Amino acid sequence: MSYATEIRGPLVLGNKKLSQVSDDIIAPVGSQPGKWWYAGMFIASLMLVYGAYALYMTFTVGIGTWNVNNSVGWGWEIVNFVWWIGIGHAGTAFSIFLLLLRQTWRTSINRAAEAMTVAAVLCAALFPLIHMGRPWLFFFIAPYPNTRGPLWVNYNSPLFWDFIAISAYLLISASFWYLGMIPDFATIRDKAATRIKKAVYSVLSFGWTGSSREWMRYESTGFVLGGIAAVLVVSVHSIVSTDFASSVIPGWHTTLFPPYFVVGAIFSGFAMVMTLMILIRKIYHFGDYVTDRHLDAIARILVFVSLIMGTAYLTELFLAWYSGNEYEGFLIFKNRVTGEYAFQFWAMFICNAIIPQLFWSKKIRSNLSIAFVISLIINLGMWFERFNIVVTSLSRSYLPSTWVSYHPSHIEVGIYIGTIGLFSAAILLFFRYIPMIAIHEVKSVLKHNEREHGMGELKPDDQ
Amino acid sequence: MNSTKKAIVGVFGSEDSLMDALCMLQAENIEPEEIYTPYPVHEALRALKRRSRLSWASWFYGFFGGIAVLAFLYYTAVIDWPLNYGGKPFNAFPSFITVTLVLIILIVTIFTLLTFSIRAKIYPFKKAEIIDERVTNDKFIMVFDAGKVNRDQLYASLTQAEAEEIYEK
Repeated sequence: MSYATEIRGPLVLGNKKLSQVSDDIIAPVGSQPGKWWYAGMFIASLMLVYGAYALYMTFTVGIGTWNVNNSVGWGWEIVNFVWWIGIGHAGTAFSIFLLLLRQTWRTSINRAAEAMTVAAVLCAALFPLIHMGRPWLFFFIAPYPNTRGPLWVNYNSPLFWDFIAISAYLLISASFWYLGMIPDFATIRDKAATRIKKAVYSVLSFGWTGSSREWMRYESTGFVLGGIAAVLVVSVHSIVSTDFASSVIPGWHTTLFPPYFVVGAIFSGFAMVMTLMILIRKIYHFGDYVTDRHLDAIARILVFVSLIMGTAYLTELFLAWYSGNEYEGFLIFKNRVTGEYAFQFWAMFICNAIIPQLFWSKKIRSNLSIAFVISLIINLGMWFERFNIVVTSLSRSYLPSTWVSYHPSHIEVGIYIGTIGLFSAAILLFFRYIPMIAIHEVKSVLKHNEREHGMGELKPDDQ
Repeated sequence: MNSTKKAIVGVFGSEDSLMDALCMLQAENIEPEEIYTPYPVHEALRALKRRSRLSWASWFYGFFGGIAVLAFLYYTAVIDWPLNYGGKPFNAFPSFITVTLVLIILIVTIFTLLTFSIRAKIYPFKKAEIIDERVTNDKFIMVFDAGKVNRDQLYASLTQAEAEEIYEK
């Protein structure tokens, strides 16, 4: 049952045979990468070193090394936490929603999107951990029979929900990702030329043989995990938003937040998927698998989600005026739209709601260099959005005597740069050791290509 | 497929030729022991009447997991050590829903993966019982238990079904 190819045209170009698909996608796995890879890894390592130093200072001296204070108690750490978790959302959202909707065009992209999710959620999980001040006691947040009563945790707190949701999300995303790779690891195992490679991928493939009994249960498991993870994608970022929305801080205390956060997460994640897929396509010459139509589909989703984002921003402005709440009105109009943080607000608005509108033009959607730049701009804009939410509200709360300005310390910047290094290093390792495209899934859509388009050629009536 | 048994293997080059052969053999009341393919072939799964009950198992994990989570929350927050959080009732049921939902998802995931691992016999460090290495690449194979089929008839049928290769293992 597939609706995709008739609308979208061929999913794989170049009249590929099954063995060609294996050969093309496996070729980069374990082979000697180009100089760019080492250069990228070197830069990522430098970032990691800076991050490690910043973490060392945080652990040994404490969070006094940060510029957070009594008023702005959440600074860059929470900004970056929400930013990373947002990026981490779209990978699974992309993969799972399109799986459940039987959108076969996902097959070339889902693997990289899921890899991105796991790496981004790892980065995100670091921030709440270090924000605890004494991260080595983080297990206090888990409800376990302890010697303090036992004193159980507060199940009414969104911060506890967050801990459960992020842990579950990390585990489920990683499991879903790994499950998808098992048949591909078996393909690498069976085609491996060296004994070491064969041994490594034998272990990774968990004894996969490709029997009908395995496939039957594999597909069932995939659909069950996909179905429940789809719920999790929505609930995790809703929970992150309730960290803010259940407070009484102006600008946070709003019912708009859960859908606004979920859509924002999908927006930033899809932009990162586009960034990654353009890189993969360019570097590894995967144009036959990641076709113009794939990138066009992502760009169309981005322009649609950008409109929702713009609507959300305008709704915030409208409600600040319409509610007649003077604190809300002051915050939005004097400390976001204008005031000390006006640059961040307008950067957010322009990057997320205005610039992606360029994707209405087919010319721009098909120009990969411009699409690449716009995808980066969106993620920059989404970072500004989180900065706006966290910092503007806290810096000008109810009492003018508590008003402060906030700028991050070099330790806070270092932790952020460290996570970018961690993410980049993880993606570079993914490029080198894991098939970047789901081999068995691409093979399964070749037949639709053949049926609908005569192996990659468009029929005239499809134009 | 038990590796000690003697098997007759028919190799096909495409999903269509595999399905044609399977239909033909089933019409002759010859049932393959197992089929190995590079990707899931749904028509073949249907023809072989392979149905998984895994989604039912997952439903039960979720159902009983949900009851267990709610019982745990009630026990800890109401019976064992009730704490007053801003005057809210100890059994703050609506607040429990979020944690319950997420934990149900976690429980279903863990137990579904375990069930998959046990039923499909897919687990770390398992040595694969490989019949033909090409099956994870581009070949579709049918495996028959040599002890259960008429060898000559099977060879003739597989040849007629245009198997690319037929061999015994």
